[in-house]
Amino acid sequence: MAASQALLENEPLVNAKLVKQWLFWGILWTMIFPLVGVVVSIKFNYPDWLGQTSWLTWGRIRPMHVNGVIFGAFSTTFFGLVFYMVPKLTGIRMVGEKMGFWCLWLWNIGVVLGSYSLMAGYQKGIEAGDYALWADVPLIIAFIILTYMVIATIVQRKEKLLYVSLYYTAGAMVWTAINFPIGNILLPYWVPGVNNAALHGLYIHYIVGLWITPAGLALIYFFLPLACKNPLYSHKLSLVGFWSIALFYPFVGIHHYLYSPIPNWTQTIAIVTSMMLIIPVWTVTQNFFGTMMGNWKSLQESFVAKFCIMGSIFYFLGCFQGSTEALRGMQQLTHFTDFVISHSHLTIFGTFVVWTMAGTYYVWPRVTGHALWSKTLATWHFWLIVVSFSTMAGVLTLMGLLQGTMWMDSVDFVDTVVAMKPYWFVRTLSGIGMDIGIFLFMINMYMTAVEPSPLPEMEREKAFVPAAAD
Amino acid sequence: MQNKRIDTFVMGMAIVFMGAAVFIMGLLPWLGRAHAMTVVTMDGKVVPAQPYTPLEARGRKVYIREGCWYCHSQYVRPVTGEDRRWGPPSQEGEYAYDVPHMFGTRRIGPDLTREGGRVADDWHYAHHFNPRMVVPDSIMPQFPWLYNGVDANGRPVPTDDAVALVAYIQKLGSNLGPWRKNFLYVSGGSAIPVIPAAVEDGVAEGKKVFVRRCVGCHGETGDGKGPVAVFLGTKPRIFKDGIFKLRSTPSGSIPTDGDLYRTITMGVRGTAMPNWHELTEDDRWFVIQYIKTFSDRFKEETPGDVIVIPPESPNTPDSVSRGKGLYDQMKCAECHGVDGTGNGPSASTLRDNWGNPIAARNFTHGGTDMKSGPAPQDMYKAFSTGLDGTPMPSYADFLNPDQRWDLVHYVMSFGPPDTYLILTPQQAGDAYGH
Repeated sequence: MAASQALLENEPLVNAKLVKQWLFWGILWTMIFPLVGVVVSIKFNYPDWLGQTSWLTWGRIRPMHVNGVIFGAFSTTFFGLVFYMVPKLTGIRMVGEKMGFWCLWLWNIGVVLGSYSLMAGYQKGIEAGDYALWADVPLIIAFIILTYMVIATIVQRKEKLLYVSLYYTAGAMVWTAINFPIGNILLPYWVPGVNNAALHGLYIHYIVGLWITPAGLALIYFFLPLACKNPLYSHKLSLVGFWSIALFYPFVGIHHYLYSPIPNWTQTIAIVTSMMLIIPVWTVTQNFFGTMMGNWKSLQESFVAKFCIMGSIFYFLGCFQGSTEALRGMQQLTHFTDFVISHSHLTIFGTFVVWTMAGTYYVWPRVTGHALWSKTLATWHFWLIVVSFSTMAGVLTLMGLLQGTMWMDSVDFVDTVVAMKPYWFVRTLSGIGMDIGIFLFMINMYMTAVEPSPLPEMEREKAFVPAAAD
Repeated sequence: MQNKRIDTFVMGMAIVFMGAAVFIMGLLPWLGRAHAMTVVTMDGKVVPAQPYTPLEARGRKVYIREGCWYCHSQYVRPVTGEDRRWGPPSQEGEYAYDVPHMFGTRRIGPDLTREGGRVADDWHYAHHFNPRMVVPDSIMPQFPWLYNGVDANGRPVPTDDAVALVAYIQKLGSNLGPWRKNFLYVSGGSAIPVIPAAVEDGVAEGKKVFVRRCVGCHGETGDGKGPVAVFLGTKPRIFKDGIFKLRSTPSGSIPTDGDLYRTITMGVRGTAMPNWHELTEDDRWFVIQYIKTFSDRFKEETPGDVIVIPPESPNTPDSVSRGKGLYDQMKCAECHGVDGTGNGPSASTLRDNWGNPIAARNFTHGGTDMKSGPAPQDMYKAFSTGLDGTPMPSYADFLNPDQRWDLVHYVMSFGPPDTYLILTPQQAGDAYGH
């Protein structure tokens, strides 16, 4: 396959400095915003802890966790990996590379300002678009520039084949460039009533379904074949996945508000399309496991493969859960409970953040030119995430079923909250386990960058032509 | 060229699919018909939704700012018994003025769609100051930054933001009109079930209920001096004195267990006493057995004969005008005012038996704001029994049953008629037939 040849050729296409800077901040945000989640979760059991200051109240730092993981942890790391992946797949350097550095600062300013706006009480009241509008401005400007860079690079590519990762990357950028104004400018100020809720359901699901999902899939379609040194199982099948996501995902958002006064027929369309998402999920999973076939031993050697496969398993579980959760009968029981929270963590963290970690394990040594500092730490990172995160997903699912059943059984509301307290405690412990894993990951990446244990020449990115010589 | 064709196709189709979805799912339901601005009330009437006042709109901003909506959803689904827990399912028109919407996706705390009017403002001020003071098991955050210093009575003073927030909370659900009058009657709240057999063991069980639900206001020793009490305009009942407002028994008598059960189930409107209909029936009976241990009256006395509530006489203009005569004759206006707003000449000097200031009821809010309940029968009962411990006497010795009904009809004429729960004779018999 033409694309995989380009992957293995080591022309100086990648601007290592740009990738390194984006990944540096991506790793930092991946440390910080899940940690905020732990603080949020501790407040379930100790509601007065850090409760005397308005800035640290539960309702202000919860959105900081949610938006921070989406726009800080996942998105920043993703862009870092895009600047590695897209040149490799197109055979040309990124168009407008220098703007990439500016975008990093705009993006970081947006994330920091956004978090500040939530803590200081300027939020908009749109879930997953909570940042104040003035904090969105740098994010939106950066996003538009980044979209231009990615699309222009793809259009001018030398590689003939449009590899599936580029489908997903282009789709994610274009969709989100449209979606940002819907959620951040239209919804908070104009559309009233249930139509606001309907469009907001779409907006939330465009963030997860048309940004995080295609972006994450772009990564794993690129890194999994590299990690297990097998060609992709089927490019055609991967395109079935892309087109079914493109067709069905835009419709599913209203499944957040079943049994609400939003017109019933739109709810039904949302349910049907949610079930249809089983098609892309199963084709994607088939493709990943097919790609691994014959080379499962790479799981032993490669942390990239380990994290790719861990994420794939959580992807399969989380997305299947998401589809069934959209059914009316299932949603009666599970909606408004921690079942929903288990779904969002299985997908956002268990799948997509884990996939960005897989990509980072591949790219970071290559752009720093140093071999991975410690395999022991990486192993600890892997198993802490596996064990802690499985615990978290399991306990949240269980809580959802328990509390949902209690609600259906007309148990006093406060009693159902009391019944959840021990489980919330376990959830906090599992979150701490995950954060220790991420901390080890961060240390490992930092030491890899500073410790001079050179990578073999062929794996290293060639020194980039200095900008002045351009 | 080949490149460009496939690229344009992919990105073009991506935009087309998304555009189609936004149009079909987001815009078509909106453009296809008029934006619902009206609500069908529980009586079947179509009424317009009311926009937010400037104060409520400000409160809504505080609600968004503090992230209340991450834990409190705002729609009642027509499934899983949510209408029994919170009230009628949500209607489209109720959200006519919501930008952005506050549907929410999680219920870490209860749904707030029907929160307005459940308890008095005082309850909310105490609850936002420290939720665990009111509900010991709560995991809601404190909001000390919504208070500024304390007043002469030691009550934390709410800021303008807090006042606005509570105004917004009290507005929630009110677009549906006076739905609350039907709420617990429909779900069987007024029917008194049989006392469970093992009621002797109820005291220990009742204490468990009491320390988890009641101590915040009524105090651990039943002295009405829980930490919340300082916030409350209408002070909590003092159980050790064994004097109760809401009874079916004559003035000066202790209440029946059924009376206490009804008060616990339905709450006391216009005060901080919530309706505890979510508690199991057993828990409600158990806590009654525990409450009765605070006062020796329940050991030494037996409840007097239950007041008989005869069938309501026709509510005619004649009856109302006869009632007006009685209102003047009985000097009701002294406290409740000539216009029924509760600002009569002696209103400001009223004290309860324990020396706390107490307000005369404002009749212009109608039946959903009556302590005794939203049915005319409830008011008849209050005239017949008096509200012990308050300046409101019993008129059993002064007015005959027909006169009491006439007075009921006159007082009803002060408030919006649809706020009163008009029962059929069959329903009235079931609820008050004793």
